Amino acid sequence: MASLSLLVDNVVVNTFELNRAETRIGRRAGNDIRIDEISVSGQHAIVEAVPNAYLEGTTDYYITDNNSTNGTYVNGIRIGGRQRLNSSDMVRIGWNEFRFIDEEENTLEKTAYILD
Amino acid sequence: MGISIAGQSHAGAVRGCNQDVVAWFSGADGNSALALVADGMGGYQGGEVASRIAADTLTESLAARLTGPYQDIPAQLKAGFALANTRIAELRDAEPQLEKMGTTLVVVWLEGQQAHIAHVGDSRCYLVRNDKINCLTRDDTVVRKMLDDGSITEADVPNVPFRNMLTRAVGAMDPVELTYSCQTLEYGDRLLLCSDGLTNSVAEEDWHGILQDRRNDAVVEALIGAALENRASDNVSVVLMTLDM
Repeated sequence: MASLSLLVDNVVVNTFELNRAETRIGRRAGNDIRIDEISVSGQHAIVEAVPNAYLEGTTDYYITDNNSTNGTYVNGIRIGGRQRLNSSDMVRIGWNEFRFIDEEENTLEKTAYILD
Repeated sequence: MGISIAGQSHAGAVRGCNQDVVAWFSGADGNSALALVADGMGGYQGGEVASRIAADTLTESLAARLTGPYQDIPAQLKAGFALANTRIAELRDAEPQLEKMGTTLVVVWLEGQQAHIAHVGDSRCYLVRNDKINCLTRDDTVVRKMLDDGSITEADVPNVPFRNMLTRAVGAMDPVELTYSCQTLEYGDRLLLCSDGLTNSVAEEDWHGILQDRRNDAVVEALIGAALENRASDNVSVVLMTLDM
């Protein structure tokens, strides 16, 4: 399972599980992760959970900015298109800092591996 | 006229064992040649066993046919890969400690100006023509497939957790699926076969200077030297063949 943890001064103040196919992030009511803060657009960004077509049992997470006013940043770089998230990536929504954690990723073999 | 070939395989700067195998043969008529690189993987000694079986099987089934009468070369290549696949799979089933073994395999059968190229996995074949280096094979990796379908970009590649994962390997699938292509060479063209130990440690743009040298053995030596200088963490293998003017 993957999650986004909201950080304030590097301390986790809230953790959101990314347990849906699509998780909407924004200021308006109706978002799955609602951030009622002025730098966040009404429908700011979306995180998709997509089963990897080539690695059975693995899910990839992709973030897309919804033409937000203040942008979505991954590791300090403003994203243009849809971008895959890696565990420990820092995600900024307006001025709000999140850490993306994918626990499954840590269990993947790091060395060469053959798919049966 | 003729074909000249040189090759070398090195354990690399970090690993104690070498799971790569290189092999090449020239036909007695000087007009044909066979070259291959296999990069084995999987557990206790499994990688060495798998790549050795693949190289020996292809050599045994194809080298003798190099100068024979008319050959259906694509069919011969497929049969060689299938036999290697069966032999590795049988040993996998028989020996529990080898159950994860498999190997990549890239083979070139050069007949006159026609290069028949077959591969499984992420060992590659490049065409070196004048100053241009062009990869003729597409890696059978999860990363390559995700790049092709647009899921990730080149910038993502160093960060994705499954960057070493193959979608195909000899000995690990039944039946084995290979990719075959045929390339017409010009005189002076070179084909470079290599394992990912080279591509991961020496950037392609750094190959140009080294490839200025027309002596195959010197180029192979220099490419492996460059990989070792860059502290190649994997085994490094290169075979270079030239269709001489």
